Amino acid sequence: MNYINDLVTILPEILLAVLILVIITVDLFISRANKWLLTPLTVGGLIVVAAALVVVWDTNESVYAGMYVVDDLSVFFKAATIVIGIISVLFAPAYLVVRRIPLGEFHMILLSALLGMFVLASSSDLITLFLGLELMTMPSYLLTGLHKTDRYSNEGGLKYFLLGSFASAIVLFGISWLYGLTGTTNISEIAASGLEGRMSGALLVALGFLIVGSTFKIAAVPFHYWTPDAYQGAPTPITGFLSVGPKLGAFALLVRVFAEALAPLRADWLGIFLVLTVLTMTIGNVVALTQVNVKRMLAYSSIAHTGYIMVGLAAFANTDDQAVAAQGIESVLFYVLGYAIMNIAAFAVVGMLQRDTRRFGGLNSFAGLGSRSPARAAAMGVLMLSLTGIPPTVGFFAKLYVLLAAVDAGLAWLAVILVLNAAMAAFYYLRVVVYMYMRDPEDEPAPIDTSPFGTVALALSVAGVVILGLFPGAVLSLIEVSAASLF
Amino acid sequence: MLSLIVFTPVVGVLLLLLVPGSNHRAIRWIALGAALASLGFSLALLGYDPAGSEFQFREDLAWIDAFGMRYTLGVDGLSVVLVLLTTLLSVVAMFYSFEPIQTRVKEYYIALLLLMVGMLGVFVSLDLFLFYVFWEISLFPMYVIIGVWGGPRRIYATVKFVLYTLVGSLLMLVAILAVAIAHAASGQPFTFSYEALRGFAYADTLQALAFVAFFLAFAIKVPMWPFHTWLPDAHVEAPTAGSIILAGVMLKLGGYGFLRFSLPLLPDAAVSFAPIVIGLAIVAIIYGGLVAMVQPDLKKLVAYSSVSHMGFVMLGAFVFNEQGLQGAIYQMISHGITTGALFLLVGIIYEQTHDRLIEHMGGLNARVPRYAAMFGLFTFASIGLPGLSGFVGEFLVILGAFRSNGLIAAAAMVVVIISAVYMLWMFQRVFFAVPSDWMRRFWPTLRDINRNEWIALSPLIVLVVVLGVYPGPVLEMIAAPVDRIIEAVNGAGLTGFGPLW
Repeated sequence: MNYINDLVTILPEILLAVLILVIITVDLFISRANKWLLTPLTVGGLIVVAAALVVVWDTNESVYAGMYVVDDLSVFFKAATIVIGIISVLFAPAYLVVRRIPLGEFHMILLSALLGMFVLASSSDLITLFLGLELMTMPSYLLTGLHKTDRYSNEGGLKYFLLGSFASAIVLFGISWLYGLTGTTNISEIAASGLEGRMSGALLVALGFLIVGSTFKIAAVPFHYWTPDAYQGAPTPITGFLSVGPKLGAFALLVRVFAEALAPLRADWLGIFLVLTVLTMTIGNVVALTQVNVKRMLAYSSIAHTGYIMVGLAAFANTDDQAVAAQGIESVLFYVLGYAIMNIAAFAVVGMLQRDTRRFGGLNSFAGLGSRSPARAAAMGVLMLSLTGIPPTVGFFAKLYVLLAAVDAGLAWLAVILVLNAAMAAFYYLRVVVYMYMRDPEDEPAPIDTSPFGTVALALSVAGVVILGLFPGAVLSLIEVSAASLF
Repeated sequence: MLSLIVFTPVVGVLLLLLVPGSNHRAIRWIALGAALASLGFSLALLGYDPAGSEFQFREDLAWIDAFGMRYTLGVDGLSVVLVLLTTLLSVVAMFYSFEPIQTRVKEYYIALLLLMVGMLGVFVSLDLFLFYVFWEISLFPMYVIIGVWGGPRRIYATVKFVLYTLVGSLLMLVAILAVAIAHAASGQPFTFSYEALRGFAYADTLQALAFVAFFLAFAIKVPMWPFHTWLPDAHVEAPTAGSIILAGVMLKLGGYGFLRFSLPLLPDAAVSFAPIVIGLAIVAIIYGGLVAMVQPDLKKLVAYSSVSHMGFVMLGAFVFNEQGLQGAIYQMISHGITTGALFLLVGIIYEQTHDRLIEHMGGLNARVPRYAAMFGLFTFASIGLPGLSGFVGEFLVILGAFRSNGLIAAAAMVVVIISAVYMLWMFQRVFFAVPSDWMRRFWPTLRDINRNEWIALSPLIVLVVVLGVYPGPVLEMIAAPVDRIIEAVNGAGLTGFGPLW
């Protein structure tokens, strides 16, 4: 009986695994001309998985001897994962087909990464956590290098792989120290093992390794050096996925490890976290300012956004008031979701302008887009405003949430640094708008991709960005329930 | 009713999206129609009862419950006059743009209509969060208007404009959150409602810091010296209609912010910081005037005179007495009308010659007499000639300043002379001096004000005279809000929390 029950709680994971197998099989049997069918198939499958998520919502059960937990927090992360998956799958094919990158592999690898994120979000044990992490990042390396004939893609994939596996090893090493100190790998048991106030050299080592490894995964400064190259090398729509998917997973890891297992030690990790947060925001923005390639600019700005999200975690750590701490986690969840939608879409627009394979997403491709393709320019404009954090968009509300959590937790100074950074970011985001509307098109403007999947996905994303910005109420209540499962 | 006023332009935008971009005629009339409808609805606000409750025409809907954000609208006398100013100037700007704007007409009117939504929303919001949302919404259409339809250095100007304002407004956002959180920390429900947050005794340090943040946001918008440097650039590069709205309404957003939020929410800090603000205001008044005097460019001259005039508004607001505050509000309205009209008139010449240098002009009085007459009217209104609207505001502000401190008033008086100097000298050079060689050679034909321009100007002409000779109704309308501000500040005992420096 118990066995069946365990299976039901991991129904979404099972369905996702089945979907991967289905895609592999179907890919074998359809002709090259019909490969596009894989996209609707994947989207349909993901929608079925989403339906399964509705079934397990509100279960809040720990299964498989405490290795795996299906709480609302994990379900929220999984739902966000599905959203990311659907948008990415819709955006990518047009770009990949032009470059003769096989679609079957793409879908299969992407779905595997999603499965890794599922496992990561649900792990209640450091072993499962590490498994999930690897299941998420291995496909990410492959995705980065998916454009086999492109040197930049090769370079990005290799760099990402080398540095990423190094970071994974560091995380694993940290986990092993933590196990040595507490005698358990179970997250809640670690939290209850009375680490508080027992700071020792060994614990410091464990903490240090975990912080270094996990901030590497979210691409926080000073562990961000792999990001720009990996992001620039990867096929553009995949960059969109990489900049949010693995990041979402890594934040799930941060929440599980730091906000759950090591929550009693938060006074100890807060300090270093604050320093990293400020550095991440500021350096990400300063470097992004000087970029003339939109793809690279978005890559650096994603570092800055990592910093904004970390503010939410800092708010969690800086307070003893449970409601305020919950608010910190909630703000992280909302920001990750909102950022995922707007950033994937922004990268996708860059990708749409790379229909000509000799284009690399420079600012010039955007010149005069306002008159060449008003709808796409308007969409990109909304996305840029959202990334800047201007109402009424989800980007604004996400920033507001983080700010609110920070001010509430007594970190008003951090909030001020955040808004100054946001103003700095306005400069380079708005530069795209300047190019689109205030410059004339090039003599030979970049051809624009107008495939139906991409257009639909863009419309959906922009609608999501605006609707979540104006009426975030429904999502907010879900998030509140999700964050509550931590406390 | 208020939602109708604010969101009618959105209906216009939606209609515009359905019209093909090449049909300029339909686009212009739809946009104008939406603006006129909004103006029509806003006339209903004249039914505001000054003796009645503070905020009338209220609307209150739940919005984001999790954070106590509500969609609360309402107007008092101060909002009423500013809403009317906004709808009127928007209509004028749109109508005037019929001829000058020939490229990307559709986008242009969409931007103007969205701008209207943002500005109107600011004036009627009674929820600080909602206010902030509208405040930001009003920023970006102007960014596009300057950046797309502006002059040669438009991109530099518009980016500067946006970055300046954004820094201020984002800091204000943190202050709004801090104020709301402090209010909630005392056990009250978490809310952004203006009426709830007002009149709460915030801690001194919070007040001081929040005041500084609000101050930056509003002072940049006003703009106060030394935060004014974006203004001349923006004005010079903006298309004429953009300048009309920018000077006529957007600067007032800053003044409104001080009167609506800074003073009543943070009275102790306001009192404590008043000497600094008054000092900056006097610098702005004199500095703006002196710099205006030496401007070779007609539009830049008017822009700097705005700095000077808005300094008067700030001075009046921070002397904390009835005359000063009434004068400040009156000056805002009058400045909106006169400066809007002056920019429009400058635009008429510029459209024909694409030149604004004063030294290239001269003797225009003989060539375009009606134009000269109208320019003269608004020049005198701007100087503050009795009988025209500018006089009432300036007079009241100086009166208020005298009641507060004779020296301040004396300093402010100086500028009345300076402003007469730069305006009249400009007028003499443009309209009476011997025509320049340049003009003889390059401007062989100049036409006088045409029918469309007369229509656009006429409401401003009427108002500048009516407001000058019969200020009673407006003063009556703003009397109650002014009393409330004074009450709030007096509640602080006119002592504040002592100097922080």
